Amino acid sequence: MTVLPWFAAAWLFAIGIYGIASSRNLIHLIGCLSVCQSSTYVLLLSVGYRWGAAAPIFYDHPPGTMAVDPVVQALVLTDIVVGATVTALLLAMVLQVGRKYGELDPQKLRPLVARAHR
Amino acid sequence: MNRRWRIALLGLAGICLTPAIWRVATALPRFGEPSEQYGPAVNRLGPALRHVSNMVSAVNFDFRGIDTLGEEFMLLGAITGAVVLLRGARGEDLTAKAARLPGRQVIGRAESTILICRLFSPAIMLFGLYMALHAMVTPGGGFQGGVVIASGLLLTYLGEGYRGWRRLIASPVLAALEGGGALLFALAGLAPMAAGGAFMQNVLPLGTFRDVFSGGLMLVTNAGVGLAVTGGFGMLFLEFLEETRATQSEDTR
Repeated sequence: MTVLPWFAAAWLFAIGIYGIASSRNLIHLIGCLSVCQSSTYVLLLSVGYRWGAAAPIFYDHPPGTMAVDPVVQALVLTDIVVGATVTALLLAMVLQVGRKYGELDPQKLRPLVARAHR
Repeated sequence: MNRRWRIALLGLAGICLTPAIWRVATALPRFGEPSEQYGPAVNRLGPALRHVSNMVSAVNFDFRGIDTLGEEFMLLGAITGAVVLLRGARGEDLTAKAARLPGRQVIGRAESTILICRLFSPAIMLFGLYMALHAMVTPGGGFQGGVVIASGLLLTYLGEGYRGWRRLIASPVLAALEGGGALLFALAGLAPMAAGGAFMQNVLPLGTFRDVFSGGLMLVTNAGVGLAVTGGFGMLFLEFLEETRATQSEDTR
C-alpha cells in the first residue's frame, strides 16, 4: 500500500499527457492539462505525509506534536490558485481562437502567418 | 501530424525517458516516512519564532515570502492576460441581452433560487472574510478566503441576474483590489529595507500565540494576498460572464 500514492500521481500525469497528445478539442486539452497538474498535488502531498502525524496547525495540539510537512502544503496551495488563473487565461485564449476560426480542433488550426498571406 | 503520429511520438518520448523515470521512481522516499528536514524544522521552530499556529501560512507569508511574491505576480500576469484577451468584445453595455441560440426558450430564475442566493451569498462572503483573517491561527488564509469571497460574488450573479450583478459590482474596484493587493505585498517586503532591515524582515510586534493578531508582518502580506485573490477572481468572473452577452450586431438581428 505504501506505493499507491506514487502510482496515483503517475497515473494522473500519464492520462493527462495522453489526453493532451490525443486531444481533438482545445477545451478538452485544457481539462487534460488540469488533470496533469493535479498529479503534482498528489505527489507533493504524498512526499510530505508522515504516518500518525497531525496537521501542521498547532491550535488544538501543542507545538512539538509530530506534524506533516508544511512546506509542500504551502506549495500545493499556491499551485492550486495559480493553476486556476492560468486555466482561466488559457480558456480566454481558446475563446479568441474559436471566435477567429470557428474551429477548436488543434489538428485543423493553421498558423496565423499562413492565413495572413493567403 | 495527425493524431496517430502524435500518440506514437508521445510513446517514443516515454520510452526515451524511461531510464530517467526509473531513477526518480526508485529514489522516492517510502510513503509516510519523509526524509526532508526543512518542513520538520519549520514545525519545530515556527511557533516560537513567529508566534503563529498555522505553519502553512508561516511558510507562505514569512519563511518563503519571496516565493509567494513571485507567485503573486504570476497571478497578476495570468489575470491581466485573460482580462486583456476578453475585454471589449461583449457585455460592456449593462443593458446587453444574453446571447442565445435562435429558437431556444429563455427560462427565468425560480424565486427559490433568488431566495437561497440572497441568503447564502453574504454568508459565504462573510465566511471567506473570516477564513482570510484567521490565517495565522486556523486553516485558511488569503488565498482560500479570497477564493471563497469571490465564489460568493458568483452566487450573487446566480440570484440577481446579469444586470443586477453588474450594478452591484464595479470593475474598477476589483482591478484596484487586485493590483493594490500585489502592491501591498511588495511594499510589505520593501518597507523593512527602508528601515535598514532585510527584505521582508518581520519587524512588527509578533503578538500572542493563537490570537488573530499574531505573526507581525504576516498580517500585512496575508491581507495583500487576500485582496489580490478576491479582486483577481472577481475580475475573471466578470470578464467570463460578459462573454455570455450578445454583441450589438447579434442583439439587433
